[in-house]
Amino acid sequence: MKKMLPPFIIRAVIAVFIISLNAAITGTFTVFRNVSFLVAGTAHAALAGAALAIVLEEFGFNMPILVGGIIFAVFAAVIASYASGRGKVGKQEDTNTAIAISFALSMSLAVLFISMVREYAARVWGLLIGDLFLLSYSDLKAMLIATLFVIFVTILFYRVFLYISFDVEAAIASGIKVDIYDYLLLSTIAISVVVIMGGVGAILVFAMFVAPSAIATRFSNSISRVFLLSFLISFASGLLGIALSFILPFSPGAIAGVVVSSTYFISAFVKR
Amino acid sequence: MEEEVIKIRELCCTYNTHIALEKVNLDVKKGEFIAVMGPNGGGKTTLLRAIAGMIKPLKGYVKVKGNISYMPQRENINFRIPVKVKDVVMMSIISKTKKFSIVSKIKNEEINSVYWALKVVDMDDYMNKPFTELSGGQQQRVLLARAIATNPDILLLDEPFNGVDLPTQEKIIKILKDLSKKGTTIITVVHNVSPLIHYISRIALLNKKLVAYGKPEEVLTPENTTKVYGIPIPTSVCEEGYIHPLFGDIHG
Repeated sequence: MKKMLPPFIIRAVIAVFIISLNAAITGTFTVFRNVSFLVAGTAHAALAGAALAIVLEEFGFNMPILVGGIIFAVFAAVIASYASGRGKVGKQEDTNTAIAISFALSMSLAVLFISMVREYAARVWGLLIGDLFLLSYSDLKAMLIATLFVIFVTILFYRVFLYISFDVEAAIASGIKVDIYDYLLLSTIAISVVVIMGGVGAILVFAMFVAPSAIATRFSNSISRVFLLSFLISFASGLLGIALSFILPFSPGAIAGVVVSSTYFISAFVKR
Repeated sequence: MEEEVIKIRELCCTYNTHIALEKVNLDVKKGEFIAVMGPNGGGKTTLLRAIAGMIKPLKGYVKVKGNISYMPQRENINFRIPVKVKDVVMMSIISKTKKFSIVSKIKNEEINSVYWALKVVDMDDYMNKPFTELSGGQQQRVLLARAIATNPDILLLDEPFNGVDLPTQEKIIKILKDLSKKGTTIITVVHNVSPLIHYISRIALLNKKLVAYGKPEEVLTPENTTKVYGIPIPTSVCEEGYIHPLFGDIHG
């Protein structure tokens, strides 16, 4: 008789599949658009949103923590894009500086909000902490909806996202509203980051949203190969994380994070 | 009299607090081939950007008749993205047709425009190669193909000979000469105008202000080049009677 896998493992494998789709699509555009730091920035901005949601709850206004997190993450992404003038010719500043400052602003706001609802602080920090083995079906549902949204937006705007990533100046010259599409792309990345983080935790998101695409870009001579390789690297690392977590006393997310990050640095030696 | 396709009046442009262009007045007639020269930071790229409508002037205005295509400098490209050559050229078509979705069908005539443009620049054999794997000169030709694929009335080029070898330079000049003969208005920023001197109608000598604008022999005088570069650029006249500067301009 076949032995069925326990449901928590099946959920973890489904989650790894969903994360890998995001790593391939959102992650690739994160690397192409040179906004890798945005992943960490929006993840922390989400904390402020989560804290505000709890503060509002105190005043009888109910808003899910995840929604609060998404609103703040999108706000942080858009304000960073606007402040760095990414869509304007001759006015671009270092995007990472703008992301770092928006990161600082949202973390400061998070601390302010958390100090107003000290007894619920754990719920706010809970947004950053997640585990592949502790996922519920509603977590999976939220992750799947966010992923479908990411796929939908990417299908609709794939060519323009690629153009503004490849040659922003020519895109502006040809009449494309680069700032608007940049806001849309960065907001999509932010939503994807927050929702996936809400399910599996920050470490796995940081590792999976940048490293697989960064590795894939090094070894690919076509864009379709970047997407495919990013997916495979991410999926393999996730599955390896789950498998090793049965032997080693560590969380599968942390193992996958170590695997994929180490692969990035090893690939740097190989490609040099 | 030829129709004016570009009319610039009292144009002032700034980047934050830095003045890039000051009171520039300039007219370009249909089918003209203009070279823009000047030192680094002299406002050459800003002039092209203002004509292309990419930046808002602080004062003055730019009036343009016809559709423009702009070929920016190659250094602004993200070379980490392994885009195929044909997809690079297709970018200008999709921005014109607004077919941004991956499921929007590209018409045969649009695909043919890409093939035609790549054939013009003699890069049709490289259509499926990654752009990033090409040599500098080949990349420059692909970017030129992207600029001409939409069949523009006005073509703006920012240093198209930068980092290209002599044979590629000759190829690009031949393409521009042919386009100009067919009535395309061309404005190109160059550091060394000599290879183009037989084909251009006028030179704009720019150092934030328009120092001189006219036929090469009127513009390339020791007084004008001293005003712009600080020293006079020596010239000689070739057998065909064209004036050639003996070296390109001075950078930095």
